[in-house]
Amino acid sequence: MTWILIGAILMAGLWGVVNRPNMIKKVMALSIANSAVILMFVYHGSLSGDTAPIEGNGGTMVDPLPQALMLTAIVVGVCVMSMALVLVYRLHRKYGTLDMREVEGKAWKLRD
Amino acid sequence: MVWVLLSPMLGATAALFGSLFERFRGTACVISTISLAVPAVLLALLTGPVMEGEVLQHSLGGWSPPWGINLVMDGLAWVSASLTTLIAVAVALFALDSGKYGARFFFFLLMMAVGMYGVALTGDLFTMFVCFEIIAVSVYVLVAWEGTGTGLAASLKYLILSTTGIMIFLFGVFLIYRDLGVLSISGVSEALRAAGGVRNTPVMHLALASLCVGIGVRTAFIPFHTWLPEAHAYAPHPISAFLSGAMIKISFFAMVRIVLEFGGDYLMDLLMWIGAFTALAAVLSALSQTDVKRLLAYHSISQLGYILAVFGAGSSLALTASFLHALNHALFKSLLFLTVGAAVSFTGERNIYRIHGLGSRMPVVAAAFFVGALSISGIPPFNGYASKAFITMGMKGSGAYPLLWATSFLTMASFIKLGRIFLPFSRSGAEYDRKERPPGILETSVVAVLALMCLGTGVFGSQVAGFMHSMLYGTELVTAPRLFTAGSLLKTLPMIALGILAWRMVLTGPGRSLSGRVRALAPQLRTVLIFFFAGLLAFAAVAY
Repeated sequence: MTWILIGAILMAGLWGVVNRPNMIKKVMALSIANSAVILMFVYHGSLSGDTAPIEGNGGTMVDPLPQALMLTAIVVGVCVMSMALVLVYRLHRKYGTLDMREVEGKAWKLRD
Repeated sequence: MVWVLLSPMLGATAALFGSLFERFRGTACVISTISLAVPAVLLALLTGPVMEGEVLQHSLGGWSPPWGINLVMDGLAWVSASLTTLIAVAVALFALDSGKYGARFFFFLLMMAVGMYGVALTGDLFTMFVCFEIIAVSVYVLVAWEGTGTGLAASLKYLILSTTGIMIFLFGVFLIYRDLGVLSISGVSEALRAAGGVRNTPVMHLALASLCVGIGVRTAFIPFHTWLPEAHAYAPHPISAFLSGAMIKISFFAMVRIVLEFGGDYLMDLLMWIGAFTALAAVLSALSQTDVKRLLAYHSISQLGYILAVFGAGSSLALTASFLHALNHALFKSLLFLTVGAAVSFTGERNIYRIHGLGSRMPVVAAAFFVGALSISGIPPFNGYASKAFITMGMKGSGAYPLLWATSFLTMASFIKLGRIFLPFSRSGAEYDRKERPPGILETSVVAVLALMCLGTGVFGSQVAGFMHSMLYGTELVTAPRLFTAGSLLKTLPMIALGILAWRMVLTGPGRSLSGRVRALAPQLRTVLIFFFAGLLAFAAVAY
């Protein structure tokens, strides 16, 4: 069940990236899809035990590696998202629109 | 070995310091350029042991491999790190002299170099992901550096495509971790061998396909190439040279490592056909461009097609040929981007038909440009000729070779078209409203040195290939084409004739209207992303 939900989040994110012309929505959709992949790691890691991996806690601890890795992945994701939003903001100031198709059409004039 | 990675990192710190304090700006830029040159010395010291087949390992912070970050230096890593060093130093010197870029620019340039060394040296998949993102974030900043609308839009487009790509990569890493429980490249390769190879484990087909697509977006072969023409064309000139010369090669080397170590032999045929098709389609688009830097950017895709196609041929000679061409392409393409960049900033004009007569204004730069153009067209004795001879031998008997053959004379045609901007005389004698000074001494000497290297690696092509082969396999190259025999030299004559013919064809009426139509072909972001998923499925399905 959880796997299906994570898959649904991933699909929703990808659908947004593909189908939304609004740049901010595209960036947010990218962030959603990225968090779906992060959830996959964390959920898979959580299946391997039942307590948090803190020393001297007793019980079977979960595999700490996926959590450590995903912490890094989240930080990387935040960097990329902030960078993307800065670009969107600057583009909006330049072209006065948030529509990706319009921006692309104005940015490189391919027809003479 | 760890200092290869640390030295540019320290240089980046110095550059950051320089951007905070105005007084140290000049010093900081010089220090950061020196810190880029340090890895060259370290790599030269490591040449001996690596060539004897020794695999050097280093665990960062003393944590042992399954948990810590492990750096691995083998032949492949050595070759990719050296290539990064070579281009990074040239680009940093060029940027230092042009004086337009401050210390903060150098910070991002150095972080990009750190990421590239990281991808080259890393021993596990997750660190590879992080290093790819370090490269990517610096590239987003650098492409948008000049703050023009085109630069910002190119950067955002690259961001969306490459983040989607790297997310697919991370998904592949997840599948591998789920099924095998290890992430180090050697560990995964052992676990796969124990499980009976990739072919017997259906989930791994998808995993390997995801890794290939994720890296493929960075490597920019068709259908993942659409970000490259804009990102390379509208970036500052040194960055275009660095992106084209080194970055796409580094991701290609990472893909080679993954495909070879994980036993993805079944992908070879697909890669060969993709490569050959990429080479031909991209050169056709290049021929129709009128923007000088876009034209060069399409040529990067096309030459990458060569590299990929010959890698797909599979033999050890083919892999050597592919790496040789990667090295040669790095040299001549960064040379071309720097010289054309100098022309663009001198004239303030990007249209191929509005720049002329630069040969008499900047003779050394023009001569260097012609060396680069002759190299990429495969004219002896320059290096493109040498690596194309190796490619011909490596691809012998394969069905994709005719596509590459057609590409090589079309390449020549488009460089005849581009070469007119550097001719020493101009028909109209137009004066430019000088936006900037002509290239300085350091800039000129950088392009001159790159031009000499193009000549050197061409004349000593067999020796360079032999060295490359012993780096990769630890053995001598047994069969090699003989480069400068009368027969092989004569074979270039029909190529030149066909090249000139193709160039004349483009200038005719139908040729012009056709190229106008090709130029206007720009797939929308949405189509491109659908290509991604189609490509992913194709990579996974080819296992059956």
